[in-house]
Amino acid sequence: MTRRSLEIGMAAGAAAFLIAVPWLIPALTDHFWVSVITEILIWSLFAASANLLFGYVGLLSFGQALYFGFGMYGVALGIDHFGLSFWPAFGLGITSAMAMALVSGVFAVRLSWHYFAIITVVFSLIFYFLAVSMKPLTGGDDGINFSLPPVFRMGRTVFSLTDPTFQYFFVLVVVSLCFFLMYRLINSPLGKGFLAIRDNDLRASLIGLNVYVLRLIAFVMAGFLAGVSGALFAFFGRYASASYMFYQVSGEAVVWTIVGGAGTMFGPLVGTTLFIVIREIVSSHWEHHSLIVGLLAILAVIFAPKGIVGLWNGWMIRLDERDAATSAPPRLTLQAKP
Amino acid sequence: MSEPVLRTERLTKRFGGLTAVDDLSISLAGGRVHAIIGPNGAGKTTFFNLVTGLLGPDSGRIFFRGRDITGCRPHVISRLGIKRTLQVKSVFPELNVADNLWITRQARHRFLHPFRSAARDPETKLRVEQTLEQIGLADLAARPAGTLSYGDVAMLEIGMALISEPSLLLLDEPTCGMSPAETSRAVAKIRDLARTIDIVIIEHDMDVVFGIADDITVLAQGAILASGSPAAIAGDERVREAYLGRPEDEDFMEEALHA
Amino acid sequence: MRDTVLLLAMNGLIWGLIIALIALGLSVIFGLLDIINIAHGDFFMVGTVLAWFSLSATGNFWIGFIVAPLIGFIIGAIIQRLVIQPIHGVAALSIVATFGLSLILQETVRITFGATPRRILAPIQGTVPLFGVEYEIYRLFAAAVSLAALAAFFLFLQHTKLGIWMRAVRHDRETAVAMGIPAQRVYVLTFGVGFALAAFGGAVAAPITTVDFRGGVDVLPFCFMAVIIGGLGNLPGTVAAAVLLAFLEGMIQSVADPTVARISSLVLMSAVLLLRPQGLFKGLAK
Repeated sequence: MTRRSLEIGMAAGAAAFLIAVPWLIPALTDHFWVSVITEILIWSLFAASANLLFGYVGLLSFGQALYFGFGMYGVALGIDHFGLSFWPAFGLGITSAMAMALVSGVFAVRLSWHYFAIITVVFSLIFYFLAVSMKPLTGGDDGINFSLPPVFRMGRTVFSLTDPTFQYFFVLVVVSLCFFLMYRLINSPLGKGFLAIRDNDLRASLIGLNVYVLRLIAFVMAGFLAGVSGALFAFFGRYASASYMFYQVSGEAVVWTIVGGAGTMFGPLVGTTLFIVIREIVSSHWEHHSLIVGLLAILAVIFAPKGIVGLWNGWMIRLDERDAATSAPPRLTLQAKP
Repeated sequence: MSEPVLRTERLTKRFGGLTAVDDLSISLAGGRVHAIIGPNGAGKTTFFNLVTGLLGPDSGRIFFRGRDITGCRPHVISRLGIKRTLQVKSVFPELNVADNLWITRQARHRFLHPFRSAARDPETKLRVEQTLEQIGLADLAARPAGTLSYGDVAMLEIGMALISEPSLLLLDEPTCGMSPAETSRAVAKIRDLARTIDIVIIEHDMDVVFGIADDITVLAQGAILASGSPAAIAGDERVREAYLGRPEDEDFMEEALHA
Repeated sequence: MRDTVLLLAMNGLIWGLIIALIALGLSVIFGLLDIINIAHGDFFMVGTVLAWFSLSATGNFWIGFIVAPLIGFIIGAIIQRLVIQPIHGVAALSIVATFGLSLILQETVRITFGATPRRILAPIQGTVPLFGVEYEIYRLFAAAVSLAALAAFFLFLQHTKLGIWMRAVRHDRETAVAMGIPAQRVYVLTFGVGFALAAFGGAVAAPITTVDFRGGVDVLPFCFMAVIIGGLGNLPGTVAAAVLLAFLEGMIQSVADPTVARISSLVLMSAVLLLRPQGLFKGLAK
């Protein structure tokens, strides 16, 4: 059993599971878990935005909730206030998130990493307070509810947006698409440039990489991911609230990413799944599940700083080395990130 | 007399009260290996930092093949063809050896494609394979650079310098921390490179200096103390004085004088 | 109208002095240990809770002034030893660790103290006429105590062994270690001192604010603003910035609502980060 075949098997199994969820889950347990899994997918995309910056470019952003918020409010206000339909609202959410990321990135990315982390929080706090103060428009912390046109057209097919199965598949498709884009990005020349900057930004500039521009590009891409997750969130909760722009939300995404495994493709997904499942299971018996979250975060950084997926990769590398010791000398391969 | 490869005009850099580089006007001709030596704190690495754009000078100008590069940003200067190694060996530790070379090669392109697979670029792949052979690290290609021994990291750095096809190569104490075997290997490589590339090297190891250099410039306290051929430098009284208190270098100077 | 402005300005000044204590704790931790301590607001909150518990246990408010910093110091030292030290101060991981710590502290308080905010009656009741306004005596007292504590802390830094060690390690860690200063022990004690300062600030502030498990959330950004605008590693600068910011926010609140005041402080902080990251009070640093 080689590492590659094991990992492919797991990926295929997970994909099969995800596709079967709307039928499998209700058969095994409560239907409510379908919406939990939908939520997990949305939040793991949000965690992925923090992961892109921290795990692949070395920029710790504690303010991704800002772009999530722009995606979320772009959709909510687009529909509620401007009367847009589905796709234009989606577009508004995503482009406003990316625009905000560009504007704030131009300033933030110049800073060394302590100050970068702090200023990302500051920017998100500024807009959080702005949103709270514009309560008639944004609903402040209480938020606004809005209703969607119940019908979703794509060509000649019509779907009901309130159908949880359709919702689930829409989210699954969008999230999978985003993860696929990330996979291509990481294995591309630009992706290697990101890794170089992460590892050693001084050396990167000495070999000719424009560190500032590349960081800015990464920041806007992360804004895109966060914006998409915010837009999806608004669509499927039909709700938007300023409280989702608070720094605690950004912080959770960072924790999920690091516990899952920063710098790995599936780290954010694993971390998000772990924490949300724990939250759902524990909170129905005990209201203090945040205690467990906090404990897990601390235990993870002390005992498994590379995260769950990082641990897995470590074991797999040892497996590889054992294989290699008993077979032909290694060929030159360019390392593709899993 | 053709345009010097590297020329500075009254280059000055101060850090608070300390003048690291003092009114330095240096001119280095092409086609020769230049060594810059001098006691600690003489301003050698600061000089490299100024040339590569990591620091901005307080006054003075820097010319690379006649082109004024004063105040340009590091990646711009790198793209013009000036590459350097660092005093503390510095590569990309989590990337594997092949990828270190790969990204160095790709960095010369202004546009890095965001979605095409990196493995698909045949030209770069070929160059990476060739360079791996040249520096003798082909079997370590898949290992993360951070797990390499010190000597191998130094060779990787030289490989990265090679693959980027520099027009001017600045080596900052390339043999620092190397064993004698590794040092000879490195010296041989550098001599090899010198056949096609202009090289300026900072060194403390006098054996290496006198073995490779065509011209030597001695810096002390940020200014030129002496410059000339190895024989001239070895016999220069002021140079020997500057090295007083460094008995190991003084011995080498003695030997070089009588070599 | 004039009354309100004066009132808000004085409140701002006094709150600024109290916050300066808390922010100083953060500055010490951030400046020395290089840790972005997300739990720092919760250190303050724990101080208010400790004050409440010692009051309800003994009936004496003043005991809280000793209990809060003492227990705070012990908890801080334990945290550094158990949580921070194992991660060798890798800064990114320590942010996550302090985030987890924040959750743990908040939930622990919620479990033991409860979720309902409570108030503590000021031990000194009554008002005193000041500049034509009736001003609460306790607030004046709190300001005086904070000033005294600040002065005591700076004396501590200058004249005690630990204080000198802390300054030495902050200034140049390698030389300090070479000179025989036990850096690890200094880190443990420093974290304890940081917690103690925040907890003391909590005890002093408890009658003026509410005792609530979420009480740290608002204080945290303010502390960071003071540290950044004052200049990282610049302790007197942190104090000056805290007072200045609280005063400014108080003034702005007289013409606009509190959210606007907070936004303007944040914008100021962004400007400092981008344009003058060493802070506004460089001259005050030693």
